Amino acid sequence: MLTNPMTNTSIDGRVLKAMFGAGVEHVSNNVALINELNVFPVPDGDTGINLYHTLQRAWQEITSMDEDATGVVAERFAYGALMGARGNSGTIMSQLLTGFADGLGQAPLLTAPLFIDACRSAVARAYAAVSHPVEGTILTVARESLEALSADASLAENLASLVDAAGTSLNNTPNLLPLLKEAGVVDAGGMGLLCFLQGIQQKQRQDETQIQVPAISHLERPAPLSSSVEAYGYDIQFLMLGELLDVAAVLQEMEQLGWSVIVVGNPSAVKVHLHADNPAPALDYAVRSGAALTDVVIENMQLQARDFAMRRGQQALDAGAPEVSVIAVADGAGMQAIFRDLNCASIIAGGAGKNPSTEDFLGAIERNPAPNVIILPNHKDVVQAAEQAASLQTAKRARIVPTTSMPQGISAMVAFGDATDKNIEYDAIVAAMEAACAAVNTIGITRATREARINGLDIHQRDFLAIIDGVIGAAATDIESALSKALAFIDIEDKELATLYCGAGFAISTANDLIESLLLTIKGIEFEAVHGGQSLYPLLVSIE
Amino acid sequence: MTSRSIRIAADSVCDLPAELRDALGVHIIPTYVNIGGESIADDGRQLDRARFYRELPKMESQPTTAAPSPGDAASFYREILAAGVDEIISIHVTETLSATLNAMRLGAEAVDSDRITLVDSRQLTFGMGMQVWVAAELAKAGADRDSILAAIEQVCRHSKVYAIIDSMEYLRRSGRVNALAASLGSMLRIKPVIAVESGEVSSIGRLRTWTRAEQRLRDLVHEQTPLDRLAILHVANRLGAEKFLKSIQDIAPSDTLVIETTPTIGTHIGPGSIGVATLNRNWRQ
Repeated sequence: MLTNPMTNTSIDGRVLKAMFGAGVEHVSNNVALINELNVFPVPDGDTGINLYHTLQRAWQEITSMDEDATGVVAERFAYGALMGARGNSGTIMSQLLTGFADGLGQAPLLTAPLFIDACRSAVARAYAAVSHPVEGTILTVARESLEALSADASLAENLASLVDAAGTSLNNTPNLLPLLKEAGVVDAGGMGLLCFLQGIQQKQRQDETQIQVPAISHLERPAPLSSSVEAYGYDIQFLMLGELLDVAAVLQEMEQLGWSVIVVGNPSAVKVHLHADNPAPALDYAVRSGAALTDVVIENMQLQARDFAMRRGQQALDAGAPEVSVIAVADGAGMQAIFRDLNCASIIAGGAGKNPSTEDFLGAIERNPAPNVIILPNHKDVVQAAEQAASLQTAKRARIVPTTSMPQGISAMVAFGDATDKNIEYDAIVAAMEAACAAVNTIGITRATREARINGLDIHQRDFLAIIDGVIGAAATDIESALSKALAFIDIEDKELATLYCGAGFAISTANDLIESLLLTIKGIEFEAVHGGQSLYPLLVSIE
Repeated sequence: MTSRSIRIAADSVCDLPAELRDALGVHIIPTYVNIGGESIADDGRQLDRARFYRELPKMESQPTTAAPSPGDAASFYREILAAGVDEIISIHVTETLSATLNAMRLGAEAVDSDRITLVDSRQLTFGMGMQVWVAAELAKAGADRDSILAAIEQVCRHSKVYAIIDSMEYLRRSGRVNALAASLGSMLRIKPVIAVESGEVSSIGRLRTWTRAEQRLRDLVHEQTPLDRLAILHVANRLGAEKFLKSIQDIAPSDTLVIETTPTIGTHIGPGSIGVATLNRNWRQ
């Protein structure tokens, strides 16, 4: 069927699928550009990659559909987005798509009036999902673009006006959000939405058979391993080299063979990561496909889990399912080990730059044997996906303790141990964990990704930035100065303990040297250095 | 009928200060600390507690602790009875954590089990000491066996032992309370607050800083008021113990004791730790 969505007054499910596909592709092509629109010059702004993962999951849901009704396609696409939602923008995108699908209902054909209704429904749904909507974000772009819609215009005209209005609105975001203006950028989430709409509008993507989710190998840095819910089995990674490799087909096959699947690449190189009970079929498939296999890494998670269980003591193994248990997001082997050590029941790998999806949280909640779960997102961009997951499921009581850093999460875990020792109830445990977070200051030391002027600080690229409780507070050319400056902002009078969590590549011995030097000027506070292994932040420091 | 003379016996884990022991005529059988190849009796003479705790952090291998032998127990009882005592009430460290009670039972059977009543204190350190203290006062005042045993039961029910462990290192090395050590985690510095009750040691709190742990300990003492008796316990941390006592001066009885705990316990929880043994006034009801 050769239906041109731009000239026809109505379109069916197959065409809508093709249009969605084009939107996904256009976002995928612009991941790097969207990532760069990071307000803060810190390396964990990943709106682009988050939107990519959200939309890729949505696309996966409809990729093999052959469906007449637009309403059905939109509903499935929205469901996929909801499952794949990562980061704040991804979560809002999933809400927009859900509202859009709600607006279509079971409609077989998309007409101009229906399209306008669905867009309004999308915006209403997205606003309702955010407890404190902030203007100058993806929400504003979505809302303002509605104003261009007209019942008198054709679907094609409406789509064109929508894209134009979205562009205008996006350019105005710095005027609404001073942070954007200071950083000299437009809103990244809004940019993502614009890309999605542009893709949909682009005329050249009329034939659905040409639609493929493209590779993202052009990204500046390697695509991060997405989150993987802790489970037994094998962790399998390999690289397939060849010609005319079919990324979508590899992904589809791997989905059958395991879980936590990530497949990225292009026709000549495909990177595969999955967890499976048996590594053989995945490797077998890769070899049989004619590709050359390289960089094969297989780890037995069962043995790793058993080691941990042994270390936790036999009693922990024998104990029945607890009443309350914790799911935490943690990045870095050391950090994950600390969370396990403090009796965190499941760890979702992820965090700065690798936000887990709503689906990851849903899986973790489902797999958790306890009837009451507590989720520690441990990053500001993860809170929403966790909240969405908690509200989507009804099988268990799930509460979020909205921790925004791993050190905060660790303090919450210590409070969890303390609370379970005291044998108190779920609500009281949650309250104790929240109180513990409030008593901790966190300093994150990271490197500036570009020049910037923020909070009155002149920041140069590669400077070490000290982020104090989420706000950039100091910049210096070395870690020690950045940390000293940051410590000066914290009232350490009533503090007793500073814990230095060493990131990947930052040695404990270096941290100990740093502590010795800090002790020359800082009195009355104990220091402790432990291995965290987190990425992007050479040091995370908690002061309590 | 003249009342039968009853003496109280106990093992050295009860931490009864020497002055009280002598004043109340309590017989103490030492437990042992094994350091390297040497087995040293905790009798207040062979083992210098201050020196032991000073050296503990540097010891290459973890010292172990040992119960007296059944032979030791038999001669211990023989000696007391030979002095003209009619009956012995023998109070011991909880059977769940020590072989002492069993050795004492075998010793008693070898001597005269009809005249020796064994009591499992279900406690450690001065939690057990509270029972010995009260029992010895009653025995000295001429109380009969049944009323002494009833009082011991009452004291057991109304006394608590809590402690802050300064470093998890020793608990982990000792292997004596594996499940507890395992549940507390090992990667971060954590100050557990533990309780001894019914022969079990359990963690009842985990704090990251000493100040918060001390506050928790204070709260726990307050829950036990009004206090009949109180002992502040410490492992090589007299200053810390006295400072803590000062912070609860308003609720502490005037005869509050400050006691350095036996190496039999200190070996497992490590230098720096402080604790309390409380006895609520309701024990007399």
